[in-house]
Amino acid sequence: MIELDNLSVWFGGVQALKSISVTIDAPLVGIIGPNGAGKTTLLNVLSGFVTPRTGTLRAFGSDLGVLAPHLRARWGLRRSFQRELVVEDLSVLDNIRAMLDALPGSRTEKRRQLDDVLDFTGLIDQANTLGARLNGFERRRVELAKTLAGQPRIVLLDEPGGGLSGDEMAELQRIVLGIGPRFSATTLMIDHDVELIASTCVNTLVLDFGTLIAYGPTAQVLQAPRVKAAYLGDEELQ
Amino acid sequence: MTHTLQNSAVTHPADPRQALKWLAFGALALLLVLVPEGLSAYWLRVATTAAIYTLAAASLSLLYARLGLVSLAQVALVGVGGWVSLRVAHSGHWPFELSLLAGGIVAGLAGMLVGLPALRLRGLYLALITLMAAAGFNVLITAVQFPNGGEGLRGFNPAGGTLMVRPWLGQSDIGMFRYCVIVAGMGFLLIEWHRRSRPGRAWALIRKGEACAMAAGINVSLYKSWAFCLAGFLAGIAGALLAASLGTLDARSFPASESIMLAALSIVGGAYSFLGAIITGVLYRVFPAFLDNLGMAGDLSYVIFGIALLHTLIIAPQGIAGQLLTQWQHWRARR
Repeated sequence: MIELDNLSVWFGGVQALKSISVTIDAPLVGIIGPNGAGKTTLLNVLSGFVTPRTGTLRAFGSDLGVLAPHLRARWGLRRSFQRELVVEDLSVLDNIRAMLDALPGSRTEKRRQLDDVLDFTGLIDQANTLGARLNGFERRRVELAKTLAGQPRIVLLDEPGGGLSGDEMAELQRIVLGIGPRFSATTLMIDHDVELIASTCVNTLVLDFGTLIAYGPTAQVLQAPRVKAAYLGDEELQ
Repeated sequence: MTHTLQNSAVTHPADPRQALKWLAFGALALLLVLVPEGLSAYWLRVATTAAIYTLAAASLSLLYARLGLVSLAQVALVGVGGWVSLRVAHSGHWPFELSLLAGGIVAGLAGMLVGLPALRLRGLYLALITLMAAAGFNVLITAVQFPNGGEGLRGFNPAGGTLMVRPWLGQSDIGMFRYCVIVAGMGFLLIEWHRRSRPGRAWALIRKGEACAMAAGINVSLYKSWAFCLAGFLAGIAGALLAASLGTLDARSFPASESIMLAALSIVGGAYSFLGAIITGVLYRVFPAFLDNLGMAGDLSYVIFGIALLHTLIIAPQGIAGQLLTQWQHWRARR
């Protein structure tokens, strides 16, 4: 369970997040909203890259707000970025292994976890391939595998479907849907593709100009007039 | 059945650089055994300092290639290592290796100190800060001078002093050359061991982006400091070897401009492989001596190095070693 209470973020004179309070208890939650709504800022607050001016952040009984970003990662909070960050001169295996280096555990156990995520993301055959030799979708999957290695508790995905083809999107959907059952992690996913959100996410959170305008079951939220207005504009609805 | 890697031997990614790396080690071994026999005393001394500066170049490349950080203080750190090892050597009848380690450790700590701004800065600003540190060292060492067996903490006797005792294996010039090559080789192995293990992966992620590293649970400050410490340690070891091979060091040999020259030559030689560090050592020490030998002004090398740097930046960002690697790949592809 992730609890956000009264989170506000300011960038200079602009308020990027306005008193966000929400309790997230679904295993797979979508975050949607128009450009500039504060979606990535919310992920940055969760992962510790942006410090909120007010508010608290708790997850599974821990006060995450007081932890530095790298300590949140060790706690089990993982994230991907909009831009994929696969290291070109490391193999796929080493790219993922780097996520486990800071965590306790025996070599055998880490090896088992590596095998598990490579298998889950379909990267077994590319394990020894250098990052520089991967195609776009393989790089995306390495990013996903990185977030899943080492028993994650919360996985934050920032537009994992950006620039993917139809087939690739279906594979992404399979992976995202499998995260909860296989790794027991709560997933929060930002994406502009409402179809992907609608077909995968149990609950959805909608932001508009830094304000939380809806949170609840995805089908219900997507039909809410206020959400439609945020996406399409008030005039379209009238 | 789930396809796993557990039963298959996971090798390091197939990399054509591996072949070149072994070639470089082979060449190194050949140098160790054959070259000194055919060299005059003058060229043997030049080759020894070239081998020593190969280690200093490798320390600079470690920061540049692994972390994308530029340090313009590495020659100053060679000086720090030299000072400490001379001081330890003149304070008692210790084995040389103790002076060597002391020089390395203190220069490592100094390197970490110089690298502290790197926790916040990078690029030009970091380069300038490290250059200031090198200039500061030059002022300090000109005032303090290198120990030569004199009295007091400075250990400097203006009337002249004694030479530093060489390692047991390096009593002769040939022995000293071989000793320096072996120690430089061990330094290379230390870097390679780091590159292949946890610090190497952490450095790679930091180079990719600090946010990327933090999201992997990596303590960015710790690993950056460790890289500066390791680079300082290797430069310090180079300083101790230099002090032993020459017997004494001269403060005038450590101006800040030498650190810039070594950094520029590391880019020309190629910062991404050990072969590049070897080429850098040769360019830095052998090439000027070669010009001197031809009766040309050694300073002409500065002009040539400037042109070489321009050429590298425009044509071959991976340096001479990178060009050789490409040629090697072409040759293998044709076979």
